[in-house]
Amino acid sequence: MTSIPKTPSRYRSRSDAKTPLTPSIISAFNSISISPQKRSHPADLSNPFITKSRQASPVKRATGGGVIVSDSFHRQAGGGVIRKGGIETRLDVVSRDYLPPTSQPRPELKRSRSTPATRERTQSTGDNRDRFITTREADDVAATLELMSLNPKTVSPGHTARLAAATGVPLNRRVLAYHEAPPASSSDSTLSQQRELARPLYGRPGELPSSTSSTTNKSRRIPTQPERVLDAPGMVDDFYLNLVSWSIQNVVAVALAESTYVWRADTGIVSHLSEAPEGTYVSSVDFSNDGAYLGIGLGTGEVELWDVEAGQKLRTMGGHQGQIAVLSWNAHILSSGCGDGSIWHHDVRVPRHKVMELLGHTGEVCGLKWRADGELLASGGNDNVVNIWDGRLGDVTEGARGQAKWTKRNHTAAVKAIAWCPWQSSLLASGGGTNDATVHVWNSGTGARLHSLKTPSQVTSIIWSPHKKEILTTHGYPTNAIMVHAYPSLERIAEIRDAHDSRVLYTAVGPAGDVVCTGAGDENLKFWRIWEGVGAKKKKEGKERSSSTRSGILSIR
Amino acid sequence: MATSQAPTRQAITLKGSTNLVTEFFKYAANTILFQRGVYPSDDFHMVKKYGQTVLVTQDLALENYLDRILKQVNKWLLTGSVTQLVLAIISKDARLPLERWVFDVNLVEQPADSAEPIPAKPESEIQAEIRYILKQIVSTVTFLPIIDTPTVFNILAYTHDSADVPADEWVDTDPLAIEASKSQQVKLRSFSTDVHRIEALVAYRYEG
Repeated sequence: MTSIPKTPSRYRSRSDAKTPLTPSIISAFNSISISPQKRSHPADLSNPFITKSRQASPVKRATGGGVIVSDSFHRQAGGGVIRKGGIETRLDVVSRDYLPPTSQPRPELKRSRSTPATRERTQSTGDNRDRFITTREADDVAATLELMSLNPKTVSPGHTARLAAATGVPLNRRVLAYHEAPPASSSDSTLSQQRELARPLYGRPGELPSSTSSTTNKSRRIPTQPERVLDAPGMVDDFYLNLVSWSIQNVVAVALAESTYVWRADTGIVSHLSEAPEGTYVSSVDFSNDGAYLGIGLGTGEVELWDVEAGQKLRTMGGHQGQIAVLSWNAHILSSGCGDGSIWHHDVRVPRHKVMELLGHTGEVCGLKWRADGELLASGGNDNVVNIWDGRLGDVTEGARGQAKWTKRNHTAAVKAIAWCPWQSSLLASGGGTNDATVHVWNSGTGARLHSLKTPSQVTSIIWSPHKKEILTTHGYPTNAIMVHAYPSLERIAEIRDAHDSRVLYTAVGPAGDVVCTGAGDENLKFWRIWEGVGAKKKKEGKERSSSTRSGILSIR
Repeated sequence: MATSQAPTRQAITLKGSTNLVTEFFKYAANTILFQRGVYPSDDFHMVKKYGQTVLVTQDLALENYLDRILKQVNKWLLTGSVTQLVLAIISKDARLPLERWVFDVNLVEQPADSAEPIPAKPESEIQAEIRYILKQIVSTVTFLPIIDTPTVFNILAYTHDSADVPADEWVDTDPLAIEASKSQQVKLRSFSTDVHRIEALVAYRYEG
């Protein structure tokens, strides 16, 4: 409680150090009965027997005994704060030892709640009230009465009476409230909404008060340094693009301006896979579910299909008019989100590749994810809309158009971050851009918004942990952070501030589900070991055993 | 403040003191509502009062609401039947009491046998005391937990059992208490007129 004043001991110790102590003053110190902790004070080191023999000095009484303990001093003592000057001049008077209580009536002590009652108070008043309740000013007790929610109607009258007697609380009170609820603010609600949006980035909820460092939950240690950093020169700093993908075969594809590289995580070999045609750039990459093929979206609206192993381009699928900001695979269907707001399903096996068109966005589609089972497709766009589409292709003819199953307009900024939950298939998480900075979790079955989380800055991507009930989000200016949240409590487990020097734009999770790869405009590709996945850990232990003990057993045989 | 300018300047009467206290509640409630963000800040405008500027709501509905409450409080103060006024701040969605601003109302006992009347407390001194309380309410913002959920408020009056209660206007209610284990309290300053003594306290939810 902030109202508790400093215990007087501090003041005493200071005056101890300064004034040359005569034994009588020491005795006075020892016998001050302001706080019960006085015995712990270093001044008590002095021999109590010596001081007792000196304290009855008649001279002292003559000079000091005449001074009546003033009310103001008592008030100070009652408040627990004693000014230095006061205590030094009237020290000997307060002492109980040579001013017996019977000889002089003591002024009634006025005590605040912070001071424990001293002995004489409970003794002198011969009441049977609870002596462990130290403060009994009627209003103080009344203030605590409702904390105990003492309701005379529900408990037996005898008990109530005893309780009332013990606490000294009058029971014949009524708590009344005006029958009407207070009016809601009549000022324009859109204005306050605008004010919310106009708030500076550092004023967002979830922002740590002052620190710029990283936080990690004490129970879980998540390394705040990347495990590996790869140089990625020329990586485009564009929120709407999706330039990193990590395949099930443990290959990372990254697009740097017009070139696409693949980095094999097992061997560390980097190879140059493709070059975009003259005058354009790669705007999105995505590995097929088996990791054998890579889809590359271009700024001109073409979608290329590459065989990763052979390093060959298999085909180019044209038709889109705008840049392909995002790609997502579902078996043989490659879906592409276009700058004009359309989503196309390309069947990569057939010559007439466009099998369906989904029109539901009026802005650029920058988030697109198939659910693992291929039943639903979620998309987010620059029009702040999240759409969930039925994955069935229906009428497989050119120009077949889909209808969104759910359309969510809760975000107030572009939705790039979209992720399906791997362990509960109905859950979809989506995160909005700078003006929104909110993560929403949806139930795709009922269309309900289950949870919302305000974050300090723009949400650039979301990843559900495959092994743990956690969500990882990456963020833009000003925190440039990677955050890990528990699900469903959405408590912050870890925050890695300034993971990159600029906003963290592209993320992909490794096939083992323990390492997350992030890319940003600072031209670095960083690998973070966020989740020591349960499965991964077991595998590792098993491997170690096989390399050490089991091999030993084999050699014995 | 009706009697404050009374020519005699002998002593503040019960009626005068009651008005003074009621007025204090009005400004204290407005200050709390502003400082704790119960209403948006542009609902408030600055008023010179007690020798300082106080922010007072200009939302008519809220103004009337407070007036109606304070009118009744004034009546209770006159009969001496109100012992405590509480402004509770409750989270709008969860209906969880977050803060309780408690104002204890005590009657100052007049020593009955004293022959000469006790010298009246100067008006300026009372005003200074009120000013201190209002300033303290403002300064509590530094330690009170930040409220980031929308909130509503409620005013509770603790009265004696025998108090006249206008039917249908005031109803018995829950004290909107904060669980003792999750509550912290800070005592604020007090002020007194010749008749009343008001002690302020804030209790707030703190789950540290």
